[in-house]
Amino acid sequence: MSGRGGRGGRGGRGGGFGARGGGRSIAANSVPWNADPELTIDGKPSELFPAFNVPRAPALSRKEDKQVSCFLLFREQCHDSPLYTQSRTWNQNSNKVRRTYGQEQVNKRYGQTSKAMIDPFTAVPTYSQKFVQPERQLPNLESRPFATEFFPPELHATLEGDDIPGGPALKRRRTGPKTLGLSNITSLKTAEELFLGEGEHQRNGDDADLNKAMQVISSMEKRTEGDEDGFLSGDEDDWVKENAEEDGENLDDPDEYDDESGDDYNAEQYFEDGDGDDYDDGGGDDGGDYM
Amino acid sequence: MQVTQNVAELCALLIDELHGELPSRIFAVLLNRGRANLPQLCQYTGMNALQLRNGLAVLLQHNLLYYQVDGSHAIYEANAEFAYNLLRTGKILEMIEVSFGPPAKDVMQSLLVSGQTRVSDLLSAYQEKIDHINKINATTMPLDDDEDSPDVKTNGVNGNSHSTKKSDTLVKSTAQLNSIICRLVEAELIDVVHPKTFQSPQDIIKTVEKEVTDRYFPAGVKGGRGKIEFQEKMAEALRKVRSESKSLKRKLEQNGTAAKRRKLFAGVGASNGTSDGTNGVNGAPEEDLDPALDPKQVIRINYEKCLVDLRNRRLVQFVSETIGEMTSYVYGVLLRLLTKQLPRCRLDPTMDLNPDGEEVDAEHRPVTTDEILDNLRTAVDLSLGFGKPQVKEISSKAAEKITEQPPKAKLFIAEAEVEGDASADESDDGSSSEEPGYDSDFKDQPAPAANGSKVQFADGSDTHWKRMGRPGQLRQHLLLLAESSQHFVRHCGQDQWTVDFEPLMRALREAELDAVIERTSGRQGLRLVRILRANGKLDEKALMNVALMRKAEVQQKMVEMQRAGFVQVQEVPRDNKADVKKSFFLWFCDVDKSYIKLTDNSYKSMVRCLQVLEVLRQKEKDVLMLTRRTDVKGREKDVMRKEYFDRYSRFQENERKLLAQVMRLDDFVALLRDF
Repeated sequence: MSGRGGRGGRGGRGGGFGARGGGRSIAANSVPWNADPELTIDGKPSELFPAFNVPRAPALSRKEDKQVSCFLLFREQCHDSPLYTQSRTWNQNSNKVRRTYGQEQVNKRYGQTSKAMIDPFTAVPTYSQKFVQPERQLPNLESRPFATEFFPPELHATLEGDDIPGGPALKRRRTGPKTLGLSNITSLKTAEELFLGEGEHQRNGDDADLNKAMQVISSMEKRTEGDEDGFLSGDEDDWVKENAEEDGENLDDPDEYDDESGDDYNAEQYFEDGDGDDYDDGGGDDGGDYM
Repeated sequence: MQVTQNVAELCALLIDELHGELPSRIFAVLLNRGRANLPQLCQYTGMNALQLRNGLAVLLQHNLLYYQVDGSHAIYEANAEFAYNLLRTGKILEMIEVSFGPPAKDVMQSLLVSGQTRVSDLLSAYQEKIDHINKINATTMPLDDDEDSPDVKTNGVNGNSHSTKKSDTLVKSTAQLNSIICRLVEAELIDVVHPKTFQSPQDIIKTVEKEVTDRYFPAGVKGGRGKIEFQEKMAEALRKVRSESKSLKRKLEQNGTAAKRRKLFAGVGASNGTSDGTNGVNGAPEEDLDPALDPKQVIRINYEKCLVDLRNRRLVQFVSETIGEMTSYVYGVLLRLLTKQLPRCRLDPTMDLNPDGEEVDAEHRPVTTDEILDNLRTAVDLSLGFGKPQVKEISSKAAEKITEQPPKAKLFIAEAEVEGDASADESDDGSSSEEPGYDSDFKDQPAPAANGSKVQFADGSDTHWKRMGRPGQLRQHLLLLAESSQHFVRHCGQDQWTVDFEPLMRALREAELDAVIERTSGRQGLRLVRILRANGKLDEKALMNVALMRKAEVQQKMVEMQRAGFVQVQEVPRDNKADVKKSFFLWFCDVDKSYIKLTDNSYKSMVRCLQVLEVLRQKEKDVLMLTRRTDVKGREKDVMRKEYFDRYSRFQENERKLLAQVMRLDDFVALLRDF
């Protein structure tokens, strides 16, 4: 960086001299380096980005860490609640953030996601979109009870879920009483933290600690080793079903569930040992029976 | 709470973060445009009525709006206080977990997530969840046993940890839930929603004013005496409205408080003497003692009281930094006892002060030493954490000095500091005279255990202190607190202690402000500010003379600090012409103005933090989209590719840092504005 800066500086100075020579005749000895021959001038321009001691926030204390975790968990639960609306209507794809003057321009920033804005690369329906939760445009108010006496009368119909464009007649009939669902999210943990955190949790006995760790490891191994076994065994199955219930749509078959997250189509697996093998084996068996 | 542009932005961002874009947009418009009804909102926001109705319902459910029905339409107004308090959710939940246990935190969290809730709805929701968990346990437990039968040992451990974890964090029965709500109501952390909850404070004042004039002053308020009477009547009526939200608490107290009920029960025939009755639900019988709450009541969180508790924690932390762990523990117990009946941090001038500026129905019962002793854990060794000089070297008269009156409200800061210095000097003298004995002892003694006490004194005196017993040791801690330069505690009678919150918090605020000034304009700047505070308004020349600094330096510093808002300048013309060259320019520092400026700056930095978070989110959009998928959520590490997971975890780390920064800034704001 310093080299580049130096070059730039030299060029600039040269230009200056040229202009001065051509134009006015400034007394040649009025410049300081002529008056004082011992003066040496450091011709480097001042640095554009001088070293600056950026203040750094201290690391989180344990209490702060816990407070942040509490907040994050609370946020997760909020996002899980029927009152939350996921959809963001401002255009997220444009990187330009324009200044807005007045409410009208602020309003114009919203309502920008339309069919015309769809990204063609992600818009093609894929298998894995099954797992993407549909975004809610409006809160799902009819699913839970409210203390309506504390709301102004103009909102009562909305709270009952009768407030839909086609009129109350079009309303889907709910079966069963409204319940205040509690969130299923009770912890904020990725798999890694689960592993570490549980270990810490069990500090009271080394034995228990070790056992726990071993168990987590073995369960992980199991999960990665046997694809089919892992996924058909108890808890995974439950897990898929639970989620399906939550979404209100049926996953047709948990067996079809594919572990690959990003790639829906894994060519190698398809040809080598994926479904193809199964078909071959099946064919072979059948053949045996007939013969 | 003064709503500046930064507050408005911050509130909108917070609501966007927690409740989504739709309510956030409405809230922002309400803050910017003031109160509005539905058609007006339609016009302002450019959204249709359906969207608005839904958004408003969500906001109202979370208590973020005031409204007033006026004819066919309701007029809505933003409640910036509650919106800002969303930021403190993490702190409040953590605090409740520490002082009431994880199940109470779970209940509070559910209450916060679902907004104002009817007790019966909450009960049935928990019932459903409990049933669900029981069902899962019933089906999976035996299955587990079958599967993992060869690996008996690990399985056993697994089962144990599983069950302990569940019992820790979850509510086990509706009876327990009931008792938790009872305790939170008694602690005033939960209060009742009533029809006036949703009237904005100004509206309440207006209606009450109208009622009072109609009832008592039909002929109008006349004369000075009449005015005072009117104010008193107003204050009384307003207090009545305010206390409506405490109806549930009063009802509970009719049956005696929880502690009392438990004591009664213990007296009747329980053999287990639960000395530690204040925290922790120890068994089923205790839960049965709590009366069932009226299922029709609607409850919500009471942020005012939460702030009182947060302030206590802040003070305890401060004491532990300045004096020591053990003393801070004692102080925490003292504060808890003292603030049990304290509904809010700051008094409302219209309601709580009578026209003379004194408090109405001041219920400042001091805490006695015995009470504190009863509430200390028995396992705590109180002999740690204070110096143990020879008895003859203590001036017991000075140490046990009783100050019955609270310090004057208008105490000049310089005086307070001088006082503090004096007492600090005394204690310094005491320890320095002890020095030789301490040294010689130290040589032949084994290294003392790290007990937090800074000074180890002679052996002979040590036994004296040991012999003193717990009450005496406790007294030493309390005297230490009373003697400190910040005056954490006032010794207001024989064995009676109280805390003067207002001067104490003022001193803390000042300390915080000094720290900020030192950070931004250096020691010289701080020195100049202190000189100004001690001397009032000063001309530049006088300031130069007092500070013994050169003119250029003083000017430069003062301008720098003026721009930062720490000092202000006043122009006083010499004659009628007001010639600028001839007028005086007086420097002074208005502390309150600096606080306002600092809080507003903090709001701005909080806004920036949240905006940075949003930008980060945009940057890592593809990763975050992936983690939101139902098959990925919760097991990101297993499922995601490594590079993706790394990006995700880096994002999470940054998110935590940013949120923590926001919370730290909020600590600062809370101290300056709310405590």
